[in-house]
Amino acid sequence: MSLLDGARGSLTELSRPERWVLGVSAAFALFLLAALLTGALGPTYFLFLVGLAGMYALLSFGLNAQWGFTGLINFSVAAFFGIGAYGSALMTADSSPIAGGFNPLVGLVVALVVAFVLALLIGIPTLRLRADYLAIASLGLAEVVRLIVLNERWLTNGSAGLRGIPSFFQGWPVLSTFPEAMPGLRLVVIPGSPILLETSFWQSLLNVMLVLTFAGVTYLVLRRAHRSPWGRVLRTIRSDEDLARALGKNTYSFKMQSFILGSLIMALAGVFYTHLNLYVGPGDLDPITTFYAWVAVILGGSGSNRGALFGGIVIVTIREGTRFLNDVALPIDPAPLRLLLIGVVIVAVMRYRPQGILPPQRELIWPSAVDGGGTPETPDSGVREQKGGGSNE
Amino acid sequence: MTVLGYLANGLVFSSIIVLGSIGLSLVYSIADFANFAHGDTMTIGAYAALVTFGAVGGLGGAVLGLPYGFFLALVVGIAVAAVVAVGTEKLIYEPLDVDSIGLLITSIGIAFIYRAVIQIRFGSDFTRFGIQPLRPIESLVPYGVRVTLHDVAIVGSAVVLVGGLHVLLQYTDLGRKMRAMADNPDLARVSGIRTKRVKLWTWVIGAGLAGAGGVFLGLFNQLSPRMGFNLLLVIFAAVILGGIGSVYGAMAGGFLIGMINQLTPFFSNVVEALPIWPGWLAAIVRGLISIEYANAIAFVIMVVVLLVRPNGIAGEGAT
Repeated sequence: MSLLDGARGSLTELSRPERWVLGVSAAFALFLLAALLTGALGPTYFLFLVGLAGMYALLSFGLNAQWGFTGLINFSVAAFFGIGAYGSALMTADSSPIAGGFNPLVGLVVALVVAFVLALLIGIPTLRLRADYLAIASLGLAEVVRLIVLNERWLTNGSAGLRGIPSFFQGWPVLSTFPEAMPGLRLVVIPGSPILLETSFWQSLLNVMLVLTFAGVTYLVLRRAHRSPWGRVLRTIRSDEDLARALGKNTYSFKMQSFILGSLIMALAGVFYTHLNLYVGPGDLDPITTFYAWVAVILGGSGSNRGALFGGIVIVTIREGTRFLNDVALPIDPAPLRLLLIGVVIVAVMRYRPQGILPPQRELIWPSAVDGGGTPETPDSGVREQKGGGSNE
Repeated sequence: MTVLGYLANGLVFSSIIVLGSIGLSLVYSIADFANFAHGDTMTIGAYAALVTFGAVGGLGGAVLGLPYGFFLALVVGIAVAAVVAVGTEKLIYEPLDVDSIGLLITSIGIAFIYRAVIQIRFGSDFTRFGIQPLRPIESLVPYGVRVTLHDVAIVGSAVVLVGGLHVLLQYTDLGRKMRAMADNPDLARVSGIRTKRVKLWTWVIGAGLAGAGGVFLGLFNQLSPRMGFNLLLVIFAAVILGGIGSVYGAMAGGFLIGMINQLTPFFSNVVEALPIWPGWLAAIVRGLISIEYANAIAFVIMVVVLLVRPNGIAGEGAT
């Protein structure tokens, strides 16, 4: 949680948009807390939302590893997400037409392997293409994947989808029985509206812990990768592929590595979704999932992982906020309203802040080198230029 | 159905795809980005025509089984699609300070806004124009061709529109300017062409043709808020097959993709009959060449063309 660390440091060090995001996040958190305490928002549902936000953040991390790092316009996010979800569901669900009943860990491994193969299948032909062709081709191949999942009933159950999926912790020593073992709690904050914490709450809590683990590990891996020499090559490819090639880098191979890394993270989001939602259907491969991830990434700032986190939260707010609005105030069908908001956010970001709200800063070198913490003994000229010059590429 | 029957269906569907792909290709070459809102521009045209037709009614007589009012609705659909596209260009795309990838992403947002507005107004269900469906033309049925007078009207109108565009591009001043701009925008500008105005006309023509395609798609199938977006990738496949930026390539590509799409059941019959060995290969091929995968086949063709011949079958004129 870099946002919290930043706040603890000092507010003055933050840039204006950072302070702005922090303020809005704090206000939003207070609002949610108030809703929780008054019982307007059920704690189980709240945890479901947190899980969903984590899932979108994970999806955005994956896209960030492709678009933010390397500049690959991948419009097949939904395919990798769906393959991850189907891979683990087919291994674990009771209603699975092929195997089923395996440990969810087996499902996780199978999902990642299948996503790896799919990344190779989609990446090998498309990664040589020009940027806008890559966008069209990857969207087309994602549709092919969706059509296969929809029509090959012997493999995927077709449009009926898969039910009877166990929780991720099924078969684990302690955690599998943890929700049942925990006592039902009854908290009364405001008299008359008690908050009940029962089995489903503890189940959701476990899910949240799971997604936090996934997202945390991914975040650390990506941050490390971003600063490594490998990440520097990727950023060079993003700004000028010809330059990277002139420096002797095999750009196709680097693009493939970044594509596979991102795809695996998207599949991980899909695996989590399977065990969160406990139902997987072909609708989950709808292109809209791709564009949710895109909105999250461009809103947060391409290449910025904390931006992706922020974008994920915004997406869940739009997704569930429209449903809430429909129930409470406006009787507008939430689906088109959601679409409208997503569209407006895309246009507004591109119009007023194309670099995103939290663009990555000082992304060319280790931050400590600039802050004077780790001045190199023989500073090469690049460092000095960075220190004096702009922080963005 | 016989081969002729499938070919006839392919011709009708091709007409719609051609109308869509010309506009997409024009905008791709002159405004220089892949416009993902093009499919939803078709939807706008279709719904504008639906509203108009509902308001004015049949207006007396009928041509080719279509009441006069429908042709008025077609004109309104074309006009509304063009006006919306020009408005979007003026309000959104022109003030933007981003590269072509940024414009591409913006156009996705625009596509969602178009579709959302239509869905809020009309709901997400399928609708039809209030026109009585016709029986297939009797004299053609013995040949296995089951086309209605409506289908003839679609093909005829498409031929008229495409012919008009050909005349415009080849023999008018605007057409020459557009071709110059598609070729090299900077050079066109220093030669004194008002590129902004040409760009606006490009939007008018491209979106107008898309609007017509949308109206015909609604007549051929049904209307739904997703109709355009669902067709968008097929149209992209056609544009890429023909070579991006080449209007005549887009026509050829649209024709081929539309044909392949509608001929898929025929191909699947052929594959059924072929003695493929070994058996598992036959099963796979038979499974994949089936009506469910008609669109998927177009997408795979698109990717193959991008890899093997990125300039398309027309070769020239690609940016």
